[in-house]
Amino acid sequence: MTNTPRTLFRLDYGGKIEREIARIIASFEENKFDIQHYPQRWLAIKLLESDADILERVQAMPNGAQVITLAQQGAEKIKSMLGDEVDMLTADHRYGYINGVVRQALHRPHIDRITLTDRVDDIVTHKWFGLPFFFAIMYVMFRLVIDVSAPFLDWTDAVINGPIAHLFSYLLNLVLAPAWIHSLIIDGIVAGVGGVLVFVPGLLILYFFLALLEDSGYMSRAAFVMDRFMRVVGLHGKSFIPMILGFGCAVPAIYATRTIASRRDRILTALLVPLMSCSARLPVYVVFGLAFFGTHAGTVIWAMYALGILIAMLSGMVFTRTLLKPDASSAFVLELPPYRQPSLKSVLIHMWENTREFVRKAGTVIFAASVIMWLLLNLPWGVSNQRDSYFGIVSSAISPVFAPLGFDSWETGGALVTGFIAKEIVVSTMSLIYIGGEEAAPVEPTTFSEDLIGIGQGFVEATINSGRILLNIIPGVNLVDEEKEAENTALSNALREHFTPLSAVSMLVFVLLYVPCVATLGAIKHEFGTSWAVTSAVYQTAVAWVVAFVVYQGGKLLGFG
Amino acid sequence: MLTQLLNLLENKESGLSLSEISRELNAQPSAIMSMIEMLVQKGRLIEIGPDGKHCTSCGLESDCNLLKAHGKRYVVAPRVLA
Repeated sequence: MTNTPRTLFRLDYGGKIEREIARIIASFEENKFDIQHYPQRWLAIKLLESDADILERVQAMPNGAQVITLAQQGAEKIKSMLGDEVDMLTADHRYGYINGVVRQALHRPHIDRITLTDRVDDIVTHKWFGLPFFFAIMYVMFRLVIDVSAPFLDWTDAVINGPIAHLFSYLLNLVLAPAWIHSLIIDGIVAGVGGVLVFVPGLLILYFFLALLEDSGYMSRAAFVMDRFMRVVGLHGKSFIPMILGFGCAVPAIYATRTIASRRDRILTALLVPLMSCSARLPVYVVFGLAFFGTHAGTVIWAMYALGILIAMLSGMVFTRTLLKPDASSAFVLELPPYRQPSLKSVLIHMWENTREFVRKAGTVIFAASVIMWLLLNLPWGVSNQRDSYFGIVSSAISPVFAPLGFDSWETGGALVTGFIAKEIVVSTMSLIYIGGEEAAPVEPTTFSEDLIGIGQGFVEATINSGRILLNIIPGVNLVDEEKEAENTALSNALREHFTPLSAVSMLVFVLLYVPCVATLGAIKHEFGTSWAVTSAVYQTAVAWVVAFVVYQGGKLLGFG
Repeated sequence: MLTQLLNLLENKESGLSLSEISRELNAQPSAIMSMIEMLVQKGRLIEIGPDGKHCTSCGLESDCNLLKAHGKRYVVAPRVLA
């Protein structure tokens, strides 16, 4: 075996440059210049390129000045002959060589320059298809939220009104609590707070889907798609982002308007945000939806969200032509991020943080409201009929206002008034009035371990039923009974006695549109002043009444009543 | 390659973006980027805004969101054209 001498790679820079390189290398010996550890060809090239660092080092070396002078003469000569500086010429040769090697050695498959994101965007941001796609996404989301969460809602309802209520009852009996304490805790707190907590599974699933849409990058597309429609109302797509946030909670959405430059646009957006259906209204929709529309509850709820958007658009047109005339339009620049696969961790954090806020509110505001409501329903002390209570008297006085809307009972009027504190309280008040006052049906006493087993079994059943419903969305798969009757929770049964399907829709429309909760009005006041908060409250209540009136009376005329 | 790149941009008054240059020269954007960086450093190329105007109104330069959103464009520096 013989050792072949290793040939160092040498890039040929062309005759003129190579000649100058050779001249400089020769000058190293002629000038007795010690090149030290530098490779002589490399050093010659660097001198020709006038590399500042090398020039400084060589200058400091013995006889370096002569070498530099020679190199500069060479560089000038090359520049005059080839028309460019040596470093540009050598770099050009290097890149040319690299490009040649790559072309010969690397076979690149044809890469479609249109990315998947571009292809998807062609559909979801299409001039005509973009909007139907947006509404289709919303429809599928709410169908899934309602259908998939329904078994879990039943399970939570059964747990709260079963084992948890029994446990409190048992503990109260153990300490020989007086009857009024028993009533306060079971009929007031458990019915009120529990009536709201029942919807935690639904909210978890709602926030799951909202997180998926946000993290995947679709929400930006929704704002883009809506830009055209926002312009009709004198706004642009940027205003739709706070409005999308309004699907979660209107308070952060009001503060999110700070990203909008024009004060007029900010005010108009803040007036429209509360018309987007926030998650606090969802429990009201679910209760009525499942009570009256069974498997079509998802469609009804989706319609509420769509109606909220429609009324917001129309309201924008009204404000633009009256109180808030448009100023000079500014350009809307929205960066559409590439689609990403949402991370499970991020989605879970989103779900948890938003649901935690709902649970915290249930433990504070709704807890306090439940206690106050219980007191008002039981004062003057010893009142036998809730209608004769302070709450009943005030609610009865208000209720005629709602008669043309199809729900004139004092219970409903009172529940709507309490919704001013927070929209979830409408449900907790109804639970308190309709269920809290009822005599509980006699139940077989159960042990603690039997309750635990029951909770576990109920959860497994709810999971299986949800899974079946989820699989049912696959075409050709039919694992659930489509003709399933409406839900039969205690509150649903009570509601069916007081509402018709038409008056239920009217009620939902009113809840969707009427006065924003006190926290939202506080945010508007904080950002824009009292007059705009009052405008929002008065305008929305008036619009809610008018639209609910049209729905109910129109429905009756069409024979739906 | 550098010469090709400069020749390509010489007649483009509104410049070209990185992806357009790499498409024209049939080379990977990462390879073209290093050439562009060198040419910008040498003062042969200038980064311009997406509207074809030089960004002289503010000092954001490479932090400009508008540039990021629409992509930088490059034109040959005037002294080379002359």
